[in-house]
Amino acid sequence: MKISLNWLKELCPTSLSATEVAARLTAAGLEIEGREERGLPVQTPAPGAPAGVVAAKVLVRAPIAGSDHLSLCDVDDGTQVWKVVCGADNYAAGDVVPLARIGAVLPGGMVIKQAKLRGNESSGMLCSARELGLSDDHAGLLHLSKDAKLGVSVESLLGLPDTVFEVNVTPNRPDALSHLGVARELAALLGVPLRTPAPVLGVEKGDPAALVHAMAKVEIEDAQRCTRYLARVIEGVKIGPSPLALQERLRACGVRAINNVVDATNLALLELGHPLHAFDLDQVRGARIVVRRAAEGEVMKTLDGQDRACTSDELLICDGERPVALAGVMGGLTSEVSDGTVRVLLESAWFEPSGIRRTSKRLGLKTEASIRFEKGADEQGARLALDVCAELIARLSGGQVVPGVIDVYPAPRPLAQITVRPARVSSVLGCEITAGECERRLSSLGLVQSGGTPEARQWTVPSWRRDLTREIDCIEEVARQRGLDTIPVLQHAAGVGETQVRSAESMATSAIRAQLSGRGFHEALNYSFVAEADLLALAAGNTLVDGPKAAALARPIRVANPLASDQGAMRTSVLPGLLRNLQRNLAHGAPAVQLYELGRVYLPWPDPRHPTGPLAWPVAEPTALGLVSFGLAQARFWGDPVEKGPALDGRAFFELKGALDELCATLGLAQVTFRAATAAEAPFLHPAAAAALVVGEGEAGVVAGVFGQLHPLVAHHFDVPPGAVVAELWAAELTSRARPAAQSRGIPRFPAVARDLAFVVDAGLAAGALLAEIRGADGKGLLEAVELFDLYRGAQVPAGKKSLAFGLRLRAADRTLTDTEADSLVAAVVARLKAVGAEMRA
Amino acid sequence: MFDELNGLLAAAQAELSAARDGAAVEAARVKYLGKKGSLSAILRGMGKLPAEDRPRAGELVNRVKAGIEAALEQAQKSVTQQALLEDLGREKLDVTLPGVPHRRGRRHPVSQAMDDIIEIFARLGFHLATGPELEWDLYNFEMLALPADHPARDMQDTFYLDGATLPAPPPGAPPSAARQHGLLLRTHTSPVQVRTMLSQKTPVRIIAPGKVYRCDSDITHTPMFHQVECLHIEEGLSMAHLRGTLDAFMKGFFGPGTKTRLRPSYFPFTEPSAEVDVSCAACGGKGCRLCKGTGWLEILGSGMVNPDVLRMSGYDPEKVTGYAFGVGIDRLAMLRHGIDDLRSLFENDVRFLEQF
Repeated sequence: MKISLNWLKELCPTSLSATEVAARLTAAGLEIEGREERGLPVQTPAPGAPAGVVAAKVLVRAPIAGSDHLSLCDVDDGTQVWKVVCGADNYAAGDVVPLARIGAVLPGGMVIKQAKLRGNESSGMLCSARELGLSDDHAGLLHLSKDAKLGVSVESLLGLPDTVFEVNVTPNRPDALSHLGVARELAALLGVPLRTPAPVLGVEKGDPAALVHAMAKVEIEDAQRCTRYLARVIEGVKIGPSPLALQERLRACGVRAINNVVDATNLALLELGHPLHAFDLDQVRGARIVVRRAAEGEVMKTLDGQDRACTSDELLICDGERPVALAGVMGGLTSEVSDGTVRVLLESAWFEPSGIRRTSKRLGLKTEASIRFEKGADEQGARLALDVCAELIARLSGGQVVPGVIDVYPAPRPLAQITVRPARVSSVLGCEITAGECERRLSSLGLVQSGGTPEARQWTVPSWRRDLTREIDCIEEVARQRGLDTIPVLQHAAGVGETQVRSAESMATSAIRAQLSGRGFHEALNYSFVAEADLLALAAGNTLVDGPKAAALARPIRVANPLASDQGAMRTSVLPGLLRNLQRNLAHGAPAVQLYELGRVYLPWPDPRHPTGPLAWPVAEPTALGLVSFGLAQARFWGDPVEKGPALDGRAFFELKGALDELCATLGLAQVTFRAATAAEAPFLHPAAAAALVVGEGEAGVVAGVFGQLHPLVAHHFDVPPGAVVAELWAAELTSRARPAAQSRGIPRFPAVARDLAFVVDAGLAAGALLAEIRGADGKGLLEAVELFDLYRGAQVPAGKKSLAFGLRLRAADRTLTDTEADSLVAAVVARLKAVGAEMRA
Repeated sequence: MFDELNGLLAAAQAELSAARDGAAVEAARVKYLGKKGSLSAILRGMGKLPAEDRPRAGELVNRVKAGIEAALEQAQKSVTQQALLEDLGREKLDVTLPGVPHRRGRRHPVSQAMDDIIEIFARLGFHLATGPELEWDLYNFEMLALPADHPARDMQDTFYLDGATLPAPPPGAPPSAARQHGLLLRTHTSPVQVRTMLSQKTPVRIIAPGKVYRCDSDITHTPMFHQVECLHIEEGLSMAHLRGTLDAFMKGFFGPGTKTRLRPSYFPFTEPSAEVDVSCAACGGKGCRLCKGTGWLEILGSGMVNPDVLRMSGYDPEKVTGYAFGVGIDRLAMLRHGIDDLRSLFENDVRFLEQF
């Protein structure tokens, strides 16, 4: 809401500066978000020069030969006639316009100088509203009224300078959407009396025999949606422009001046906050106003020229035959005030807020009127607004207000009564507030004492404060008035035993982050909604498979009103975001990209952790841990590439596997195994480089996630290199199994024996199977560690075979191991491996 | 002979102390202690001594031998050390060459900020609470005193979900919640307040960090962002306690010199409500470009829990009071790290991420 300080000071006289007023209002909850200074810069004329911008009359306008738009004008500023070149086209001889004389300073700092245009001397400049910093209108010169005194400064004609505040009015305070409303607040804060406009018409009583009733009739068919409808008639109006100073007020508040009648309704709206509408009474058929609901599909043309198709929920203002306004939102075209209007029917009504809100939303039509009605206008204030506006119309248009007022108000709404206990005020605010202070502050806001005791005082709430319904609302008013900085700062001491210990899961999550950071992975954060096509691409990497993973991926929950088409589906995987990140980073020239994201995915079935009852979660939202990697994070590695087909990069795969290995070790997961993943488990992975991470042993084993190289089709979809590797794990399967605190095993007291063994096996035999056999050979618990330290395939071994070398570390906890014992374990290993076709290398 | 022995020791000591390399030391050893060396020669003459002199001579021989050996050891040590020093003198290393890099990944600034906030509140005795991001209108709005058609709903543009893609409501879900069209992406972390209040007796002291969504995207808004909700309900709490907790929070996050101030505002679920400003993190309150010269930054919304909200959740507002606030974590992280574009938080450009 834009508030003119000059206007505000008419309603609440104060000598405070704009800055001080802004500070007081902001501290009381009417935040001044912005400020605009209107008017010209300080004029510093050269000695003897007549500087400034003044009203001047164009005496002669003569086109300049050879120019398609310039004219040379003789302009009279009351003291002298100046020759001025002007490029505008919206004026003629006889018009009074602003003349910036030599030496005048315009907004932006431009100084007017003697100039020569097309060989013609120009002693000044004729100005548009934009050149004077008053609006964006630069269609032509600003017109001043023809009877303006020549030579008078334009600022004084327009009521400038002025400061315009942009006030952020919270939705609970429709009463502050006007100059009077803000003035009311300021008056209460400053303790000065408010100057409420007092129209002469205001004292007139509703007389059923008054003349107005013979000129118009009002019926309310829907008394729920329209509780009050007031009207007056002004006759003998002459449509014309409003005075400049009033036009400037409208402009300052961002409203376009139209004509004196329409301007009067807008001025009353801006001053009092109550929307009004002026009809051309001679266009109101049957001189009847009927307030009714629209028929389903009924069409009406609003004054912006649009045909509006209504539902039966829309409320219409109709005349004897047809709709003339969309109640509380916008007037209709047919009964609009036009240049020929002589009799005006002025409406001031009260419409039920949620109905206005629904219509405004449905039609996408937000107006100054609808904004105020949907937040709650003042049912009592409607009368004041009607009278002020009727008088203004009469004054500006030379018309007469017809005696009498139409006021259809079947069920006046009683004013709210609230009991306020000063002790409660003190205890909620945390500081001592006396009964006297409460009474002073509430009275200053227009509340009236209506009974009770000093300990529990009853108050009548003024009609414009519909937001005050409970004691707590009044407590807030007291707090606002005295300033929140008067409330002390008090630390609450947490009770013994109530201090928080971080949960094991939360600590495990931190450990995951620390581990991945150490491994070179940056943490990413992506939007929870993705392009559905990206999810489908992941699911369809292997089109032959329609496993549960693919199904979950490909059936996301959709956002009903997404902002962009690539934000239309709730992610069922964190990988699309990470793959998009990879693509972008590589496009920017990053040589290597390692990212992870720890975030929820959204699956269309019940959440197993919160499945039933009032606190159930609507859908499953497990946390996923996704990793994506391209290029090598670190240089060290146990060996060179193992498999290198056209689309298979073993090294990247094992880098990632190493990261996951470490992750499991950091969390202290007891039983972790890796196996090849099926296409159903991981449709988005290369079938030969897809693995599952299984936590827990045997029957209790659970797939915590899958990882591997991206399926080439998926890589193609995301426009990333086929060598990229990804992982997606369920965070809870890891964190819930994390060892809370590592248990010490002590330091070995006896030496270890190391033995290296190499075997030649079929190329197709899995290393994991051999490792399992080696561990299985250790019946006495002597095998402390086994490490695969070399894999070889080449000239030294037969075709179709490979050589694997293992380092074994043997140790007994209670004695020094003898060579005999070590030899016998090695023999057992060799025997077991022989049984699976592994020949020991010499 | 005695003189001869003493002379031998002195000569060996003198020669060894002058030795400059291993060869000289070895030559001295051969010369004095070798089989054909001086000492052996003297020993061979021992037989000619009278018997009464022999013990004294033997003693002297041993002393001289030990003396020469000590001198040899000393000389050997000295020449070795000398050689080492010469070697070290020849070796050169450019210590200004860069160190061997180990590339570490970085935490996302928002997730760092979130952890720091959890930590600060843990010390103040607040527990961590979570809730779903796909939430019912009932908990996101209605039970926070924001019924349908409430004008304040305009403050939060809401994402809704396509009912055809949703599962059946969970058994036992509140009937009004289970209407599928009532499912939305939570617009704030406040529904966690409601879920907590429905499941817990007082005292309630929780924080709930997480993702929230609003249908808004421009330079200062992203459709997804992060909030932390703080809720404290028990007997005897006042707005002074709200100020105390805010003060501790802001000092914990931005540093001990940080000041906070409250301005009245409006949120439907709190009454009285206050906007909280914090002294500018960039200029410390003197006024700069970041704070537009005011010295203050608007940082969060807060207030005393609306008694209607307490009542709807089963508490008696005459017995217990509470305060609550919600803060945008992204904004806190931006202020702390001097990040000027909100959207850069969600682009995951490595050149950005590696700065933290």
